[in-house]
Amino acid sequence: MNEKIRQIAIYGKGGIGKSTTTQNLTAGLAEKGKNVMVVGCDPKADSTRLLLGTLAQKTVLDTLREEGDEVELSSIMKTGFHGIRCVESGGPEPGVGCAGRGIITSIGLLEQQGAYTDDLDYVFYDVLGDVVCGGFAMPMREGKAREIYIVASGEMMALYAANNISKGIAKYAAKSGVRLGGIICNSRNVDREEELLKAFAKELGTQLIYFVPRNNVVQRAEINRKTVIEYEPDSTQADEYRNLASAIDKNEMFTIPTPMTQERLEEILLEYGLMDSLKDNYNI
Amino acid sequence: MSKPNLSLPAVEIREIRTGSITAFDGEAKELVSRAHNGTLKDVERSFQQCAGCSITKAACMTVLIQDAAVIEHGPVGCSTCLHEYNFTYLVNSGLRGVETPLTRRVFSTNLREKDTVYGGLTKLEKTIREVKERTDANVIFVLSTCAAAIIGDDVESVCDELEDELGIPIVPIVCEGFRSRVWTTGFDAAYHGIARKLINKPSSQNTDTINVINFWGSDRFSDWFAPFGCKPRYITPFSTLKDLNHASEAVATVQACSTLGSYLAAVLEQDFGVPEIETAPPYGIVQTDRWFRALGKLLGKEDIAEQVIKEKKDKYLPRINELKEKLKGKTAYVTGGAAHGHALLSVLGELGINAVGASIFHHDSLFDSGRLENDQLNQRVEDYGNVRNYRVCSKQEYELANSLGKLHPDILLSRHGGMTLWGAKYGIPSLLVGDEHYSMGYEGIIDYGERILETIENDEFVKNLQKHAVNPYTKWWLMQRPDYFFENKENKESKAEGEVNG
Repeated sequence: MNEKIRQIAIYGKGGIGKSTTTQNLTAGLAEKGKNVMVVGCDPKADSTRLLLGTLAQKTVLDTLREEGDEVELSSIMKTGFHGIRCVESGGPEPGVGCAGRGIITSIGLLEQQGAYTDDLDYVFYDVLGDVVCGGFAMPMREGKAREIYIVASGEMMALYAANNISKGIAKYAAKSGVRLGGIICNSRNVDREEELLKAFAKELGTQLIYFVPRNNVVQRAEINRKTVIEYEPDSTQADEYRNLASAIDKNEMFTIPTPMTQERLEEILLEYGLMDSLKDNYNI
Repeated sequence: MSKPNLSLPAVEIREIRTGSITAFDGEAKELVSRAHNGTLKDVERSFQQCAGCSITKAACMTVLIQDAAVIEHGPVGCSTCLHEYNFTYLVNSGLRGVETPLTRRVFSTNLREKDTVYGGLTKLEKTIREVKERTDANVIFVLSTCAAAIIGDDVESVCDELEDELGIPIVPIVCEGFRSRVWTTGFDAAYHGIARKLINKPSSQNTDTINVINFWGSDRFSDWFAPFGCKPRYITPFSTLKDLNHASEAVATVQACSTLGSYLAAVLEQDFGVPEIETAPPYGIVQTDRWFRALGKLLGKEDIAEQVIKEKKDKYLPRINELKEKLKGKTAYVTGGAAHGHALLSVLGELGINAVGASIFHHDSLFDSGRLENDQLNQRVEDYGNVRNYRVCSKQEYELANSLGKLHPDILLSRHGGMTLWGAKYGIPSLLVGDEHYSMGYEGIIDYGERILETIENDEFVKNLQKHAVNPYTKWWLMQRPDYFFENKENKESKAEGEVNG
C-alpha cells in the first residue's frame, strides 16, 4: 500500500460525535484540495451520510453477500462533498453474526479491489464505539491506519473509553507502527473541560489537538444531511472544523500512549472538579 | 463436582463436573488417592502437540445411531474426521446385528467468512431442511463448532423452530472444542442433547431390558444377561431413535467404559429413575465376579449371579491358567483413553503380566455417579497393585515416545488407531484392539490373552521395522523426563518426595 497516504482512524465512546467530527473534518481537508476517502466501520452505516447527503449507500458487506466475491469498486464507493470517496463497511443486523469480523472482511475487500489509489492524501476510518474486540482494532493493525485520533469530551465515560482505546493502541504500536496523534475534544460544555482534557492528554503522553466548541448549527446541518462546512460555510463552527483540519494536516506529534490506571484517571477527574459532589458525601 | 442439569442447553464441562485433568506423571496409586481426596490439579504444558476435539466425541455418539443424520455447523474443516465413523459403522455393524448398514449421513453447513459476519443461521436452516429431504432421517443432530460459538449463533432456536415444520426431533449438541480441553466432554454433550430431547419419561416398567452404554464392541452382553432373563439395549451407537426414546424403560444401566457412560448413566438414574450398576465394568476376573454380583443384587437374583460365576470359573479358569503360565515374566505398556486403559491394566494384572507403564489420555477425579466403586483405576490398584510410570498424556505423542522408549516393554497395548506405531518403531510388538468388549469378562481374559501371546511371539515384522525406522525426536529429548514440559511442577515434586519417603 502507498506509504504516502495518511491513514487515520477515529475512535471514541459511542455517541461522542465521531462521525460528525470525521465528516466535518474531512470536508475541511477536501476544501483545501486534499484527496480523501472515508471508510465507515460501523454496522449502522451512517458514517458518510453528511458527505453524501443520503443514507442510501450500499455497504461493502451487503454487496459482498448479494453479489459474491466479484464486487465492483464502483458499486460500493460513492463520491460525496468535494470529491470525498465514501465507503460504508456495514455489518450484520443487531444480535447476529460478528460485526468485528465484518470490518476485517470489508477492509480486506477494499484492498483487493484497489480502493487505495496513489492519488489519495488521506484515508479516514470512522470506527464504532470502543475497541470491543479484534475486529474493531483492525484499522490500527497490520500497518493500516498509522495515526489515531480519539474524540472525547469532559465527561467521565468518554475519558474512560479514551483510556481504554489507548490501551489498544499501545498494544499494537510496536508491531504495526500505529501512533496516537491526539485527542479531539467535542465539547459538551462541562466545567473546566479544556483544562481537564489537556491534563488527560498530557497524562496519556499525547496532546489535545483541537477543542471543538459546542454549537447548535451542527445539529441543524445534520438534520439537513450536510456537514456544517456545506450547510453554513460562513459560520464560526465551519471555521472551527477547518482549523481542526489544518491542525491534523500539520500535526507532527505522534506518540505511543501511556494509558493510566483507573485510580489515576479518577484522580485527574477529581482534580478538575468533575467529582466535586463527592466532597459532600458521607465520608467517615 | 456438580450434578447433571438437563434444564441447561449445554453440558457442564468435565474440568468442573468431574474434576478431570489432562496431565499427570507419577504412580497410579498416587493419582487415585489425590483424585479421591480432592487435591488433584491439572497441569499446563509449555509445549503441546495436537490433541483431540469434543466434536469428534459428540459425532461418535450420534453419527452411529442407525436412523440419524448429523450436521456439523461450522467450517467444513471441522468435519474432516467425521467420515471415519462411516468406516467404523460399516466394519462393526456385523458385530451388532445390523445386516444392511447404510452409509452414514454426515453434513456440514460449510460456514465461510461471510457467514461469520452475518451469522450462520440461515445456512443452518437451509441445511436442516435439505438434510431432512435427502435422508429422511428420523432424527437430526446439529453439532456446534468454535466458529459458530464465537459469533454466538443461536443454534437451539433454529432447531426448535424447525422441529414442528419437519415433524422430527432436531437436537442441538453444544460441543465446541474450546469449551473444554478434556475432549471427552464431547460424549457428555451428545448425551446431554439426547437426554433433553429424545429420552421419554418412562411410560411402563421394563424389567427385562438393561441399557448398555458402549461404543461398537461385539455383543457379549446377550449371553451374560440371558441367565438373568434380561437382554441388552446398546446405546447409543447402532441404536435407533426408538431405542433412545425408551432408554428410560430399563431395569438397570451398565457401561463398557466408565468415562464414556459416566454422564448418561447418571442422568438415566437421576432424571429417569433407571439405576446404574454400583461397580466398575467387568475387566479382570476379580472385577467380573464383583460385577455379576452387583448385577444380581440389582435384579434381586443373587443366586443366579453365583451360579454364573461358578460356571464361568469351571469353564474358563483352566485355559486362563495355561495362558498365565506362558505369559509369566512379560512386561507391557498401555496407551488408551480413560477408563478403557484402566480396564486393560486390570486384564494385564489378571494375566500376571507386569504393567510397567501407561499413557492414558485424561483422568476423571470422580465419575458423575459420585461412587468410588465405579472408579476403574482404583479397582485395578486395589485388585492387582500399583502401576508405576502412570502418565496422563492428553495424547501427546512426544511424551509417549519418551516414556515408552525408556521402559521398552515386551508389548504395547492400545485401543486407538495411530497409537501403536511408536511401539512398532521401537521394535516392540504392538496390539491394537478397537472392540472394547474383546477383553471383558472371563472370555475376554482368554481372547485378549491369546492375542497378546500371539503378538509377542510374532515380532519379526516390528524388529525389521525398527532397523529402518527413524526417530524424529532428538537424543536430548529422549533423555529428559517425559513431564519435562509440565509448567506446574507440583506433580514432579510430590513424586520426588514420594520416592525419598518411600
